[in-house]
Amino acid sequence: MKRLVRPVLALVLGGLVALAAFAIREAPAQAKKPYEGTTIRAIVNAEYVKYSLSLVEQDIYDKLGIKIETEVIPLDPFVAKTLLEFNSGKSPWDLIMFLPSSMPDYGRHLEPLEPWIQKLKLDFVLDDIPDVYKKLMLRHNAKLVSIPYDGDIHIMFWNKVAFERPENKSKFKAKYGYELAAPKTWKQWDDMAQFFHGWGWDGSDQKLFGAGASYKPSASGFSYHWWRARFFSYGGMYFDANMKPLINQAAGLRALEEMVKTMPYYPPGVLLFESEEPKTMLIKGEVPMLYSWTSTGKRVGNKAESLIIGKAGFGIVPGAEIDGKIVHRPSLTPGRAMGVSIYSQKKEATLKVLEMLSNPEQSLKIVMDPKTIMDPWRISHLRSDKFKKSFPGADEYLKAIEISFPHVVPDPILPGANEYTRKLSFEITEALAKRKSPREALDSAVVEWDKITDRRGRDKQRGLWGEKMHEMKTVGIEYHPDWAAKAK
Amino acid sequence: MFRSAIALKRKQWEPYAFASPSLFLIALVIVFPLAYAFYLSLQNFDLAVGPDYEFVGLSNYTEALFRDGRFWGSVWNTAVIIVPSLTLELLLGLGIALMLNRPIRARPIMTALLAIPPMVSPVMAAMAWRMMFGVKYGAINNLGLQLGLIDVYFDWFATPLISVIAVVLVEVWHNTPFMMLVLLAGLQSIPQELYQAAKADGATPWQSFWYITLPLLKFTMAVGVMIRMIDLTKLFGLIFILTFGGPGGATETVAFNTYLVGFNDFRMSYASALSYLIVIGVLVLTLVFMLVQRRREARAAA
Amino acid sequence: MSRYRVQGWLAQGLTYLGLAAALIFFLGPFFWIVTTSLKGNEDFFAHPPVWIPAEPSLAHYTRLFTHSNGLRYFLNSLLISTVSMFAALAVSLPTAYSIARWRFGGGFLSVLLLVLRMLPAIALIIPLYIMYKALGLTNSYLGLVIVYTVVYIPFAVWLLVGFLRDFPVEIEEAALIDGCSRLRALVSVVMPIIAPGMAVVALFSFIATWNEFLFAVVLTGIETKTMMVLVTTFTSGGTDTFYGEASASVVLGVLPAFLVAFLLQRYLVKGLALGGTKG
Repeated sequence: MKRLVRPVLALVLGGLVALAAFAIREAPAQAKKPYEGTTIRAIVNAEYVKYSLSLVEQDIYDKLGIKIETEVIPLDPFVAKTLLEFNSGKSPWDLIMFLPSSMPDYGRHLEPLEPWIQKLKLDFVLDDIPDVYKKLMLRHNAKLVSIPYDGDIHIMFWNKVAFERPENKSKFKAKYGYELAAPKTWKQWDDMAQFFHGWGWDGSDQKLFGAGASYKPSASGFSYHWWRARFFSYGGMYFDANMKPLINQAAGLRALEEMVKTMPYYPPGVLLFESEEPKTMLIKGEVPMLYSWTSTGKRVGNKAESLIIGKAGFGIVPGAEIDGKIVHRPSLTPGRAMGVSIYSQKKEATLKVLEMLSNPEQSLKIVMDPKTIMDPWRISHLRSDKFKKSFPGADEYLKAIEISFPHVVPDPILPGANEYTRKLSFEITEALAKRKSPREALDSAVVEWDKITDRRGRDKQRGLWGEKMHEMKTVGIEYHPDWAAKAK
Repeated sequence: MFRSAIALKRKQWEPYAFASPSLFLIALVIVFPLAYAFYLSLQNFDLAVGPDYEFVGLSNYTEALFRDGRFWGSVWNTAVIIVPSLTLELLLGLGIALMLNRPIRARPIMTALLAIPPMVSPVMAAMAWRMMFGVKYGAINNLGLQLGLIDVYFDWFATPLISVIAVVLVEVWHNTPFMMLVLLAGLQSIPQELYQAAKADGATPWQSFWYITLPLLKFTMAVGVMIRMIDLTKLFGLIFILTFGGPGGATETVAFNTYLVGFNDFRMSYASALSYLIVIGVLVLTLVFMLVQRRREARAAA
Repeated sequence: MSRYRVQGWLAQGLTYLGLAAALIFFLGPFFWIVTTSLKGNEDFFAHPPVWIPAEPSLAHYTRLFTHSNGLRYFLNSLLISTVSMFAALAVSLPTAYSIARWRFGGGFLSVLLLVLRMLPAIALIIPLYIMYKALGLTNSYLGLVIVYTVVYIPFAVWLLVGFLRDFPVEIEEAALIDGCSRLRALVSVVMPIIAPGMAVVALFSFIATWNEFLFAVVLTGIETKTMMVLVTTFTSGGTDTFYGEASASVVLGVLPAFLVAFLLQRYLVKGLALGGTKG
């Protein structure tokens, strides 16, 4: 009897296994592509974002059967052009990429995600998102409406050749009286920019430059992003509680004066540089240091173009020494987030796409590709072994991002954020071009800011700013009028 | 006036019928929008804020005139670009026209070749030059480097001054041939007998240039300069590609500034007001120019 | 005597020298952009620079067409310019006829022409944009064709009136006496004879539409961009990037200008003065 049982059991079990295997193979084939035939329209703000979506399109189609049609509106008119569509009460797009600092403008056109998470059992793995995004960037009127797509914070990059060459070290020490190492404060950064400028710090006889930067006032205002890393570490703040701009106070003035003074140490065309020019100079070994978007790191590690693979250092953007402690305030620039249009006819499909796009595995593909310029934004991205091994030094690079996250400062997240930042950036570049003094430039920026505030409704802006100011306080960003004078 | 009965034999409605399609279209696409723009300029229509707007009177105009440094800056920048461009275009154009007016071989083909730049779109001209200005791979720096004229790293948009020079250079390249064509036509209409008579009287070439060519060419020059001046107030495509108004706002022209207000800030009413101010400015400029010209002619006649 | 001869030679020599310099200055950029568009990538970065590529290749054109949607935008430019050209002619000819034969509103025309010549396009684009937005005409071929057609009507009419006035009325009269209607006479008698004049007008309005930038950059969308708008996408990333595709698109963008400059030699001054080549 026992002898019989075994073979029968084996047979039955085997049959079951075979059946199960068949079922498993069959099941996805039936349930496969639940949205076959659906096409959703996405709007993004650059060709390289479109390219980044193309990296995951096939997987999305294989799993969901949804195709994505992507439209590009360039960065400069993006905010205004997309809002124009939404404000007319419709939108030709289902999946919306936008700048989270413009959340007050976009928020009411985006579908709240929480009800759908319940309904469709979606999982956006929210625990895997750094606090600063969760607290400051993803919600509108306390409702979750978007998921990050591009991290967009600044970190510092340097060329170790410049910093570790013994001749450079001794020469620097002799001249400035302290050790040459990656700068920790603005004072050090400026000293080093001056030190490195105009000679072959890599041992060649080329005239190289002191540091890199992007000072063109286009897009959301490059020069503004570069200015505010200094501004906030000197204790600055956008507005006071009454919506009076504080940008022309001591902190702003000091930041801008330093930038104007150090202009000669940057490449001559820096006033028209957007994001990519100084990055190229860094990876070609023409500037020894640069603070910029984290995506720079991927270009540093890209064999096809980089000459400094394995020779680059990564760290937090310099800060100011206040009472013996260094305060770092790297920029959290507008970034990119994705949401679903409330005017969409295909919300369910779009939400499925959003879930898939942003899941840790797919989004890792996007942020790892050196051509996307998309920055890592999930904690798991920063800790991914695959990413850490993707180029020599990648682990240091990811660590630098992780240590920077708790210090970052967002844009003024208000209606019209984009306009505030662009106008300020224009004035900053005017000062850098020596067409205005720093004081004149910042004073006229204040005039422009007041105009924007008035046009949007001063009371409304004041109310919203009050909330924002409170939120910023919770992550430790406050106005310190006394810091500018004592910062070292 | 017309030679035959044909003009009289028309049906009353025919002239209107023939002209109406284009008149209708012009009314619809040019006249109405301009009127609408004027209406808009009295509102506070701000597309970035929302679709609602209200009547605000002349406040857009007063903001532009009294509280907008950037607008006045753009007026100044436009002037800074116009003056050297016009001067160079006139001098170079006159020089080339004089050369082409001499008895030389292959004049038609040379004229045709030289006439190409103004036929090209400003955007394309600017793009070609932008690439030629390229710091490392551009033609100009490479040539300069080979000839030992410039430094290893020279950026043509490094400072406001250099950028203005670069913009003027491209503008001069683009439109000098136009001035040359106009002046050449003017030169060719001067009767040769005058020169022969002068030569018989023993005048040097310089004297006949100074006392015959220049006075007779004055009117042509004035027309050419005026046309170029009006065009230069519209300078847009060149700036869009070459500098995008930078560095800072050094090359931001009035047209470019208005474009930014309209299509980056989407302040439609304010942009309309600015464009009306530009129209008025150009109108005044043209009238002043014509008046000065006329007075000078009157004085010359007297 | 020989002193004058030497002087004459000298003057002649200097003239040719000056003209040669002018030719180099005005045509050099075209030469460079064409050779650049045919260079391989490594040639851009070569030191000393390569002025004429040893092995010209069309790779950049292929890339422009396949990667940057260049073919589509080239065809867009072609389509929009051609349609606007015919539309402008079709609408302008009867108007010009009306003015030439019946002196219909002749004074009005010259005022309109002058005003339009001075009017900055920026003044027109703002209200047009709002109107187009309301009518759903942005990002459509129709919208662009309408603007271009209308903006060049005054210019086309003005030139056509000149051609029509030179046209002998007697021929037309004969046709009318044979019982032709006006329109019929215009189409079958007048048009064939002033065809060369119409070609001049057509070419001017073609090149003007081709070259126009402001309306195009504001009113086009992803499907309807023209070559002029495409070129702007190559301006990001500094002056040293995108050499290949940018130069290829510039070559394609200036091609019609070359053809028109040669075909219209005699009319260039008039056309340029009246603003027949740009928006």
